[in-house]
Amino acid sequence: MDSEIQRQGSRNGYHGDQQSLRSRQVSSRVSNQNYPQFNWSSTPAEDDVEGSSEMPRDLRSSPLHMALKRAVRQVQQMQVPVVSSRESWKRNKAKSLRKLKDNTREFLYLFALWSKSLQKIGGNFGGGVQSFFLFLRFLVVLNFVSFLLIAGFVLIPSIVFRSVGTGLVNSTGPEECMEYDPNPQGLVLFYNYFLDLLSGTGFMEYSYMFYGYYNNTMVDDTNFSYNIPLAYLFTAVFYFAFCLIFIIARMGTAARVAVATGGSAVGNYSMIVFTSWDYGCLGDRATKLKQKNIHYRLQVRGDLSYLAGWRTLRKKWWRFLIRVTCFQMNLSPTSFLFLCQVDLEEEMIKKRAASLTTNQKVVLYALRVFMCLVAFGLIIGAFYGIFLATEFSQEKSGKEGILGLIFEYLPSIVITAGNFLVPLMCDQIALIERYAPSTTVIVALLRAVFLRLVSLGVLLFTLWRQITCDGNTESAECKLCEYNYNFYPCWETRVGQEMYKLTLFDLLINIAVLVLVEFPRRMVVDNWSNKLAQWVGRQEFVVSSNVLGLVYGQTVVWTGALFCPLLPLINTVKFIILFYCKRITLFNNCRPALKTFRSTTSTFFFLVVLLFGWSLATVVMVYSLAEIRPSMGCGPFRFFPNMWSIVPRSFSSLSETTEEFLFFIGSQAFSIPLFVLFCVVMCYFIALASVYGKSVALLRAQLKLEGRDKQFLVKQIEKLSRQLQIPQHTAGAGQ
Amino acid sequence: MGTTASQLGKDLLSEYQELTFLTKQEILLAHKRFTELLTKDEKDLPNTRVSMERVLTLPELKSNPFRKRICYVFSTSEQKDGSLTFEDFLDLLSAFSDSATLEIKSHYAFRIFDFDDDGTLDCGDLEKLVNCLTGETDETRLTTEEMRQLINNILEESDIDKDGTVNLSEFQHVISRSPDFVSSFKIVL
Repeated sequence: MDSEIQRQGSRNGYHGDQQSLRSRQVSSRVSNQNYPQFNWSSTPAEDDVEGSSEMPRDLRSSPLHMALKRAVRQVQQMQVPVVSSRESWKRNKAKSLRKLKDNTREFLYLFALWSKSLQKIGGNFGGGVQSFFLFLRFLVVLNFVSFLLIAGFVLIPSIVFRSVGTGLVNSTGPEECMEYDPNPQGLVLFYNYFLDLLSGTGFMEYSYMFYGYYNNTMVDDTNFSYNIPLAYLFTAVFYFAFCLIFIIARMGTAARVAVATGGSAVGNYSMIVFTSWDYGCLGDRATKLKQKNIHYRLQVRGDLSYLAGWRTLRKKWWRFLIRVTCFQMNLSPTSFLFLCQVDLEEEMIKKRAASLTTNQKVVLYALRVFMCLVAFGLIIGAFYGIFLATEFSQEKSGKEGILGLIFEYLPSIVITAGNFLVPLMCDQIALIERYAPSTTVIVALLRAVFLRLVSLGVLLFTLWRQITCDGNTESAECKLCEYNYNFYPCWETRVGQEMYKLTLFDLLINIAVLVLVEFPRRMVVDNWSNKLAQWVGRQEFVVSSNVLGLVYGQTVVWTGALFCPLLPLINTVKFIILFYCKRITLFNNCRPALKTFRSTTSTFFFLVVLLFGWSLATVVMVYSLAEIRPSMGCGPFRFFPNMWSIVPRSFSSLSETTEEFLFFIGSQAFSIPLFVLFCVVMCYFIALASVYGKSVALLRAQLKLEGRDKQFLVKQIEKLSRQLQIPQHTAGAGQ
Repeated sequence: MGTTASQLGKDLLSEYQELTFLTKQEILLAHKRFTELLTKDEKDLPNTRVSMERVLTLPELKSNPFRKRICYVFSTSEQKDGSLTFEDFLDLLSAFSDSATLEIKSHYAFRIFDFDDDGTLDCGDLEKLVNCLTGETDETRLTTEEMRQLINNILEESDIDKDGTVNLSEFQHVISRSPDFVSSFKIVL
């Protein structure tokens, strides 16, 4: 009996809440139409009047249990609403759209790679590590789809039309420029095949792998024509555009959440308490670790006067970004110590900074500038090393044997060594700079990204220097063909080979580190109970440096795709191997970190860094398409002044109106109004966003007022009831 | 209706697909895992109710500090003992699934955190919640003073109408600011 009443009460509690909430029009983000407002007592007639103006509710979103939902559905089906045919058509459309969405979702789940693995990783190691593996999976899919694109439009037509087809332009050009003989001379030993595989020369050079093998042919039948060079060019351009769209689409949801939640309430107490539990945690160990993590976060906050601290914050967005990168990029052990004390140290450092005398301030700033210059100098030193290594390697190319292989791989070796050593030294420099911990983290990250991407840029710049003789087409070596034909009879293939070697070396280094460093470390730590071994401890899975490695690998592939069409396929295989290697090392060698939690903003950040790499590759591609003369000895663009010139030439064969239309689109008369239109649309959205922000603030204030009204009314009721009771007492006392 | 017979009928399957956020594979997997919890005799009966202890042997729920509350919230039993039928189990998985909306997740999260089932989160509920989050071991338990301070801070931040408790809309207001909630409020078999 008691439980009956209690159950009624609890049910009513919820329903009552929702009824009053509906009339209050609360400012929660979600629509309040889907609360369980099911009213058993409503007659069908009443519902008709209401139902005609709104769509039937999506039952899945109502928090009722199954039996109730089924009953509601039956009632809905039995009702024959009197609606206009337009309404019913709209409703049917909505229903079929929903069904289509559900079916596509189910279909996509079939193709979800490694979902079980990812779940296990997320449950045991937390969200930060899981977002790295999700990012890796995204890159595998991106590369595979790009490969399908390239295969469909370039590779397969080339294979099919290899023997058929006529040359596009008749051969005009100096004899020396057209000399290109990639096939090896004389007897080829067996181990040469292996060396060729590693360096992309020999039997691999003149194959579908590299640019040099594709022909300058156009197939022109009676009712079918296929222009291979044009297809090559358009596929390359479309590949870049496609990757950009894919990345932005992926960023879409994460960006929306990141922008909408803003910087106003990250990390405050109620957020920690209400949202920080991860229901995917598997096992006692992960649960205990998560509990320790939450306890730590609550404690750290407790030492500050939190609300005062946030109110004095002025640059909300910057603080948000710092905090996000702080907590989401699970950094190396040195930075981890910073992260632990982030809030306390921040305040301490601020207090200390405020209490410095002018003299000390000057010294500190001078020290910081000096250290910045030192870090910059280190990075420039690394770049110079890469420059020297590339020049040396290009000069010594063609050497035989193992020594030749080492010379070929010299740039990759120097880049990898630089990417490993320079961040270590920058970490030590950061200790001297004594920035606030959050600033240190950002600075270290920026330096690492800059180092990785620009070192690739330096490599490409050095190659460019050698190919175009420092850009000076009048110098002795480049005068004849506008590029250095002695060293580079087919320069595109050479660039493709460099990118291929970088990719391969990256994979080999990852596997080597796994086998030679991580496994032995685990064995030493587990079996040797020395104090030193315990202090070193099992390693932690550092997400940020792994992500940077992935971004670097993908940038190399993008840069090389124009010159080595099969590179996306090789990269797909490489990333798949990398996934399994990283998973093995994660489960066997790493300990779960104390400070990890899932965030959609991590993914957003990874994708932003990926876009940096994409823009570098785009710059390279645009430059190669527009400026450098293609080799005359090989490739589909020989005898053209630059690669892009095939486009206007092909357009001249189109009809008049199409030509005029295309020229119009490219001209200023079209692009300037388009730009103005975009600005107008953007202003509209900015205005809309600020209006929404204001209405949220207004509604909050309204809620506060209503709360005060409620308290006032409650007090009035108490006063009145006391007044009513007093006469009773006097009456009772009087008796 | 409802079933724990060894096969799920086709109509029943499509009905479940319409009424929950689960895909066909997820429903079939749930059915498989649920029947593993049953004894041999129970397998033939329709609409069997599984006791809370047996449900909590599932590895996904075993170490979750909120496991008992989850069972109580989704249970439709008359005795309020946390036992689940297959349909309750599907409701549970639907609320915790990938494609469930923010509103349904926040609604159920609120109910899970509402330890005394009175429709609001008052000091007692918040205290029990924090204890679940930080664990009950000696080194992670908060002192009384820390707890009091923490609860005051929470109420100051999230109690908009200043009535001393956090109601559903205030709770949803806090949740909507968090980018991680939807992805962390997930249990997948």
